[in-house]
Amino acid sequence: MSLVRDYLRDLGRGVVGGWNRFWFTPADPATLGLIRIFAGAMLFYTHLVWSLALSDFFGAESWVNAQAANLVSAPPDQVNYAWSYFWWVDSPAALWTMHLAGLAVFALLTLGLFSRVTSVLAFLITVSYVNRVPGALFGLDQINGMLAMYLTVGDCGGAFSLDRWRTRRGADGVRSPARASTSTNLAVRLIQVHMCVIYFFAAMGKLRGESWWQGDALWGSFANLEYQSFDMTWMAAWPLMMALLTQVTVYWELFFCVLVWPRLTRPLMLTLAVPVHLGIALCMGMITFGLVMLIGCLSFVSPALVRRVIGGRRAGGAGQGGRSDE
Amino acid sequence: MSDRKSTERRHASSLIVWSRGARWLASVLLIWHLVGMLVGPISTPPSILGSFLQGVYRPYLQAIYLYLDHGYKFFGPDPGPSHLVRYELVTADGQRQVGVFPDRREHWPRLLYHRHFMLSEFVQSLSGDWDPRFDEEHQPLSLPQRAYARSYANHLLAKHHAQRVTLYLVEHRIPLPEHVLRGVPLDDAQFYASRKLGTYERERP
Repeated sequence: MSLVRDYLRDLGRGVVGGWNRFWFTPADPATLGLIRIFAGAMLFYTHLVWSLALSDFFGAESWVNAQAANLVSAPPDQVNYAWSYFWWVDSPAALWTMHLAGLAVFALLTLGLFSRVTSVLAFLITVSYVNRVPGALFGLDQINGMLAMYLTVGDCGGAFSLDRWRTRRGADGVRSPARASTSTNLAVRLIQVHMCVIYFFAAMGKLRGESWWQGDALWGSFANLEYQSFDMTWMAAWPLMMALLTQVTVYWELFFCVLVWPRLTRPLMLTLAVPVHLGIALCMGMITFGLVMLIGCLSFVSPALVRRVIGGRRAGGAGQGGRSDE
Repeated sequence: MSDRKSTERRHASSLIVWSRGARWLASVLLIWHLVGMLVGPISTPPSILGSFLQGVYRPYLQAIYLYLDHGYKFFGPDPGPSHLVRYELVTADGQRQVGVFPDRREHWPRLLYHRHFMLSEFVQSLSGDWDPRFDEEHQPLSLPQRAYARSYANHLLAKHHAQRVTLYLVEHRIPLPEHVLRGVPLDDAQFYASRKLGTYERERP
């Protein structure tokens, strides 16, 4: 009996301790700062492209009108919580003003100016765009929304930003080291966990299909003319190679959520992410989606490594202790 | 090795600066959010637990745009055929104009092409249950499919100043590797099938 009690006590302590360490250890903002730059740039580009067909998608006589959008967002007898300020915009002048203001916010976020405010605005703007055009969305929008949301949680302007550049230097002319914070750790952890959920369910979804199990699913992507940007149909003569690539993709996605955490396997999982996502980007013409997934994967790169690569500095850039490596 | 690990753990624990109360509050919010993160994925295809959680989480997930109806099933369960929308417009002076979306010649850069591609894919994804009384080309449209087809039609009528438009949903099936090895092109006519989405007149204001 005491064995069971001891086990449960140890289990409880272990879970609580692990939970606290995982979520509440302050972290250096280097990784989040880098994610802010790339995610901000992706948000800017994604919305810049809307400029080419702004009235087609957001104007009074757009592709998706309010009735159609409401029908897919909520059953007729239920409230639709998919809010968007675009539903109140009719005039082209107002539409363009809001659009340009949105682009300015994304640019400021990328540069890291007034990051605490611009990150929240960027998230609200992103949600407003996607909720206005259900039907024109794909994976890029999901990841954009996810990254924008988590950038609001932490100190995303704490590193590699104009905010940081504007901080006062000390008497010796040297800036105090970047401040490690719990909220920064929370933001990075949320991105990491969300990426694991995405890959796990992407694999689970694939395993419901015959072609991923059988090994010819990639052919369905290579021979799809509407997606194709590079002709990969020469793979028809290499069925074994195609099967191997198909299975590697599924198993990499399935085990990502486990193997990305240990120190030894993390570099392997992240290295594999590069050909998988660049393959999607280049062969299937979804460059933005491929890149935004890699931005999400950046969350697994330790702040110490980020500083070493970008700043040429040794590990331990965080000023007040905190998590700088896993 | 285990000594080093436990030293690291003690060191990490000593760095925690949030008070116990703050951590409790943050933990409750985290658990709420982490469960919410799973609602979309476990609801596609529908599941008992997913349907229950959707009822609880719908306002939260819709408000912060965490997809409810996709679940990250990228190219799953199987990569399927593509869908395009072909349209035939008739202007006020009786002239005919045809077009298709997505169209690589018209929609550039690639992201804009993909937006139009998703429009045509989406109207297909809204198909209702299979009605055995009709063949594939004459399956009735579901309610949201009708609403989307009407919306696309309104947009095309306004943009091209047309009086009438007929929409067709075109399915482009994936050729087998054997076809390609025999030299059959991916856009060979045998891989296409189309279905009428309806004819729409300009609505009077």
